[in-house]
Amino acid sequence: MKLAQYVVQRFIGYLLVLFIGITITFFLPRLMPGDPINNYISQVQARAGQSLSAEATQQLRDSLAELYGLQGDIFTQYRNYLARVVRLDFGPSFTYYPEPVSNILLDAMPWTAGLLITTTLLSWLIGNSIGLIAGYFNKRRWATILEVVGIILYPIPYYILALVVILLLAYWIALFPLSPTFLPGPMTWNKAVSIIYNSFLPALTLILAGFGWNVLAMKALAVATKEDAYVQFARLKGTTDRTRMTNYVFRNAMLPQITALVLSLGFIFNGAIQTEVIFSYPGIGMTMRAAAGAGDYNLLYGAIILTIFSVATAALILDLIYPLFDPRIRLGG
Amino acid sequence: MLLAFLLSLIAGCGAPAAGPAAPQPVAGAMTEVGTPRAETLIVQTFDGKTNAPDNMNPLMSGYAIWRGFRELAWGYLWEMDTATGKSYPELAAELPVVLNDEYTQFEIRLRPGVYWSDGVEFTANDVIFTLDTYFNNRDKLTYFGVPVITNYVKSYEKVDDYTLRVETVKPAYDFATTMGVYTWGSAFNIVPKHVFEKVEDLAAFKNEYPVTLGAYTLKSYDPNGQWHLWERRADWDRSATAPLGEPKAKYVFYKNFGDEQTRTLAFIKNEYDVDTFMSPDSIDAAKAQNPKVRTFADVFPYHDMNDACAYGIIINNLKAPLDKPEVRWALALSLDLQNVGINSMSGQFKGSALPMPDTQITRPAFFEPLQAWLNELTLPDGYKPYNPNFGADMVARLTEMGVDPAQLPTGDAVTGNFGLGWWKADPAEAEKLMNSVGMTKGADGFYTLPDGSPWTLELVIPSDWNKVMQRVGFSIADSWTKAGFKVNARQVDNAEFTTVQNTNALLQVMVNWTTSCVFNTNFVNNWRTIKAENLKPADSNELITGNTPRIDNQFIFDKIAEAGAMDMSKPEFLEAGQEIIKEMITNMYYINMMNIPTTIPTNETYWTNFPKQDNAYAVPYTWWSSFKKILANIEPVTQ
Repeated sequence: MKLAQYVVQRFIGYLLVLFIGITITFFLPRLMPGDPINNYISQVQARAGQSLSAEATQQLRDSLAELYGLQGDIFTQYRNYLARVVRLDFGPSFTYYPEPVSNILLDAMPWTAGLLITTTLLSWLIGNSIGLIAGYFNKRRWATILEVVGIILYPIPYYILALVVILLLAYWIALFPLSPTFLPGPMTWNKAVSIIYNSFLPALTLILAGFGWNVLAMKALAVATKEDAYVQFARLKGTTDRTRMTNYVFRNAMLPQITALVLSLGFIFNGAIQTEVIFSYPGIGMTMRAAAGAGDYNLLYGAIILTIFSVATAALILDLIYPLFDPRIRLGG
Repeated sequence: MLLAFLLSLIAGCGAPAAGPAAPQPVAGAMTEVGTPRAETLIVQTFDGKTNAPDNMNPLMSGYAIWRGFRELAWGYLWEMDTATGKSYPELAAELPVVLNDEYTQFEIRLRPGVYWSDGVEFTANDVIFTLDTYFNNRDKLTYFGVPVITNYVKSYEKVDDYTLRVETVKPAYDFATTMGVYTWGSAFNIVPKHVFEKVEDLAAFKNEYPVTLGAYTLKSYDPNGQWHLWERRADWDRSATAPLGEPKAKYVFYKNFGDEQTRTLAFIKNEYDVDTFMSPDSIDAAKAQNPKVRTFADVFPYHDMNDACAYGIIINNLKAPLDKPEVRWALALSLDLQNVGINSMSGQFKGSALPMPDTQITRPAFFEPLQAWLNELTLPDGYKPYNPNFGADMVARLTEMGVDPAQLPTGDAVTGNFGLGWWKADPAEAEKLMNSVGMTKGADGFYTLPDGSPWTLELVIPSDWNKVMQRVGFSIADSWTKAGFKVNARQVDNAEFTTVQNTNALLQVMVNWTTSCVFNTNFVNNWRTIKAENLKPADSNELITGNTPRIDNQFIFDKIAEAGAMDMSKPEFLEAGQEIIKEMITNMYYINMMNIPTTIPTNETYWTNFPKQDNAYAVPYTWWSSFKKILANIEPVTQ
């Protein structure tokens, strides 16, 4: 019963977060300076100043408002917007009219998700494994070396890290392309290999960039946890280092790391703008950035709602799975 | 700083004392899209990435125009020779024939023997169908040309398969550039009747692999919008561009090579042939590593300066204290353009004092005839503000800075490359002018308003969506601050930039280019919106739809209206333009600064004979009409 109540509470909270987020998303871009219709009119006016009368301009304005779904007062627009969002219909992109926003997002999503889910998980796994070993055996010299690697990588700005990797692996030693070329057509074995090959450098830079923090965080947790009484007790019972490191230290130290992992996964639909720019990699980040710059409300709504949805869902999943990892929550204590 | 360090690392690494060793071309090499490298011209996309790569419907606003559509795939009634600014017939057999004295009735004669890429002949039926489509669907089609043409054309009729007649709403001396191409684009995109007449929903139609009129067809593209590959038509000699000759590249591959650092590395490694707006720092790094990388000119300012627009400062002339000519002149004379150009463009720019770019076309028409007037121009206090030695001064300053004299122009090239002159940098005279209207410097060293209250000038500049203008903007703020103006430089995004430009309440001054765009001698094309009905009150939030410099001057309104009804080929037309320019300058309504520097380096490892200063058969842009001519003139390098 307690569990059911817990799940229902979390679910109501989840729906509330979505509603508030979606509402803010509607009003916020309208407070931004810039208006797609006026941008369009300016462009036309520059070419047609001689021939476009005030009436013709107004006619054009009305017709665009209808095409873009911007007719009516703001509350009418808001009502229509909520009805559309439920159907995952974000309307047409203003910049690429009449291309539906959902198409643009659906095209970009697999690239963003594929790259960021893979790199986030790998970075978490590798970073935490190294951090655990470095923390558990913190008196050993090689553990210090592993920690130094994390300390060196962590503060390097991503942009610089990416450029150094490009210089090393694509310019001086030309193992990978400087910019990817993804070929069209159905998915085949060769195409899959080509995607992995072309995505290798962006993925590597993201793993390296996320890896340092995981090493340092897990190492600090492992050092503290291994001194806890239950770990000492296990040692006195004669368990091996490996058993204590994995079953005792890691299981307890990983809780904050899991929180960080799930929230990172929730944020992946923000995209990775810098990666997309530096590597001309397809994805949602640049789409969102360009939409904000051009006043393309609909595209901006779509991309932000996707992020709200994924972050809120990640938080919900975290709430729901946390009892599995932490018996104190499961037992209500 | 870190980026500068990385660029210098690239520039420095591996360069032997005897000079850089270029990465060698590979015989038999293939591109990543499977075409022979030696037969493929590779170009950086102008628009980076597009989100609608499959949209090739030229009746809609969001179609993928920037990656070959208009240069490779399409033809227009009249194109523009970018070297001379003259229209020439492309789909038409000759320039429009004027049928009445009022210049409202025209006959268009089409060139027989032009075929769409699917083998159907292009005829007057396609033109009539397109006009019908524009008029019948004007509330659905979002291409900007639709309102332009439907408000410009009054009636039309077919005479025979190769002849039609068009009547315009008003006298149309610009018929060839409105129904054809003006600088980079055309309002009138003719579509194939046999394809489009079968389409039920024209707005939703993608026209994914278009039937083309140009010499190329689309072979393949990246659904993610990073590249497009075009292939030359086997029957290119029946295409719209056939009279220019055979395009030399069998394939043209447009690709987004990433941000500037990655692009520079790819350029050094011969991965592509023509770039688009690379910064001077990156070009220097690329040239240091690969001698095949070339700029438009071998000496300063290195780049082509014949863009249709110039960077300048839009002033809200309606808003106090900017409504006073003394204040506007003070701003012009407080702007040290040499410093601005050196700080933001490494000195690689060309000054232009007139409210338009100083190009090979506008110079003989406007700049040279007005030099004597500029030299004699006197402000009410007797001060002569013009500096005709601007170019020579630039050479002296760059020499002082340690630039190799061999890299600097000499003789006539000094004014040719740096411009004929600009305003003196004279903060002392600026102070006199400010004081004359009661604006003196306060205790903090900054000018106050006439009532003694503090005055902050808000200068709007682009954020990083236009890095060159952003840098120019910060340099201007620096120059004005040193002269005693308290400046708040505010960076804005692209959409907000247009809103500020068009909203009096939001605008004091902004760095912009839109007021100055004049490519051929038809100044009316840009300035026709300068009229009284486009003015709004100084603090209005209502958007203006023209007259961005906020000029309120009856003489200018009348002259522009008069010029709009003149034959543009007559000397009177140019004289009217010169009169307007004089009035604009006398009142300093708009501070024009420099031609937009089009930094388009080429890599001549695989292809040569690109347009250069000593071989300027076209402007060097790949996203203008010029690219049609470039493709017919480049030569492959034998590997």
